[in-house]
Amino acid sequence: MSEELNDLKVDEVIDARGTACPGPLLAAKKAIAGLESGGIMEVLTADEGSKRDIPKWAKKKGHEYLGDLEKDGYYRMFLKKK
Amino acid sequence: MEKKMCMALFSGSIDKLTGAGVILSGAAVDDMEIDVYVLLMGARAFKKENADTLKEMAEFPNAKDEFMASLKRLNVRPWLEFFREAKELTNVKIHICGLAGKMWGGEKVEDFVDIVDDICGISEYITAAQEADVHLFI
Repeated sequence: MSEELNDLKVDEVIDARGTACPGPLLAAKKAIAGLESGGIMEVLTADEGSKRDIPKWAKKKGHEYLGDLEKDGYYRMFLKKK
Repeated sequence: MEKKMCMALFSGSIDKLTGAGVILSGAAVDDMEIDVYVLLMGARAFKKENADTLKEMAEFPNAKDEFMASLKRLNVRPWLEFFREAKELTNVKIHICGLAGKMWGGEKVEDFVDIVDDICGISEYITAAQEADVHLFI
């Protein structure tokens, strides 16, 4: 799974590591609007609250949450737009 | 049909407005339809000349320096930016209570920051509260 995520072709990377909750979620919400259906977005965050929020939000809005990787104290979270 | 949130924003202090802004963001990311009713002390903060220069803390005023330093360290945006951004993301209407506006010298919508939509009466707030899925008083 983690290798698959690592090799994933990502359409947009959102680096939200400089912000605390709700910054990463706001950034994800804004950025996904610019993707085409089926587009892959990667969100980088070190915020534990956002790490929990983003998959739940994605599921609620019908996007596919593909999983996450932990790396050097932050998370790489992968979403596929509905 | 998106869910509705009604927020009665009585408070006009920087700590409570920051909290209100974070909650508003959460609701906006969830695409809720949001009505914010700015009541007594809140209306002072939304006056054009006050919004960017608020100094007051409602809780723990002695910890203001720590609070402000933490906002900066965590890169938390100024309270008004939460409201502005929520309006960009979803249907947010900001109403100033007519009495509250007058108390702080605001008669017209132009007396308040540009994201304010209108000046309203209390019955509109009560109706919105009755119809909302989520109702908060801050």
